[in-house]
Amino acid sequence: MVATRNTMMLALEAELVLQPSPLTLTISVPALPRFNERRQATRSSRRFLMVRLQLDPFLNELTSMFEHTTEKGSVWVTLKHSSDKSKVQRNKMTTAGKELEYKCLVRATDGKKNISTLVGTKDHQRFQASYATILKARMTSLKKREKKDKRKAADANKKQEVSKKRSTPAKP
Amino acid sequence: MVYLTSWDDFVERSVQLFRTSPEKTRYAMKYRHSEGKLILKVTDDKECLKFKTDQAQDAKKMEKLNNIFFTLMARGPETDITEVTGKEQTESHPSRKGRGRKQ
Repeated sequence: MVATRNTMMLALEAELVLQPSPLTLTISVPALPRFNERRQATRSSRRFLMVRLQLDPFLNELTSMFEHTTEKGSVWVTLKHSSDKSKVQRNKMTTAGKELEYKCLVRATDGKKNISTLVGTKDHQRFQASYATILKARMTSLKKREKKDKRKAADANKKQEVSKKRSTPAKP
Repeated sequence: MVYLTSWDDFVERSVQLFRTSPEKTRYAMKYRHSEGKLILKVTDDKECLKFKTDQAQDAKKMEKLNNIFFTLMARGPETDITEVTGKEQTESHPSRKGRGRKQ
């Protein structure tokens, strides 16, 4: 006979009833084990936490991210045009005839922490300037252009010449 | 993943992509100081444009692209951008009624 869940439960219940001592239910519920694991692991769950900051604290955090990732690690920054509302809210607002306000959502991470901020129409120029300053100051490990550029140009010219020769048929 | 080789091509196509699907398009940047590498990605989850570089001069170009995207995304996809240096008037950006979130 196949042991169905109901029969199993009945059997367990029967066991419980028979025991004289006060019951401590230690039956682990098999449903959603992964969810429980994730909750207990607070360190890893922190990675899923997106912290919404104001503009200036965001820029400060971003600067510190760059500082921490000089030896190893990366910094990701993502820009998106967003109204910061869920689809349900957006639909409600459009059907009600209300105007949706869009801003620029900026997210940043260093692989461990997640931060975000919203840049509105009035703030974007100021934010843009500060952001540019940070990047200019921090992106220092990129190579400076030197003779390589001339070499590249020369190579490109050579390649063009070679391809021209190939396209024209050989002399009979 | 499509890595484009021409910067101007990348810029033109990514702005076009944003104008086509402003709701879905995002512009991502990854910088690795240890390797001295910069990767840019613009995607609307259907089409993906990428640009990879290790040159400082491209960082300067990226700055301009950042400005373009900030302007477009903060103001609206209809915004007229004239090479970013002069931010032209926003073209009929919908006026905000009620509570706008002020930072």
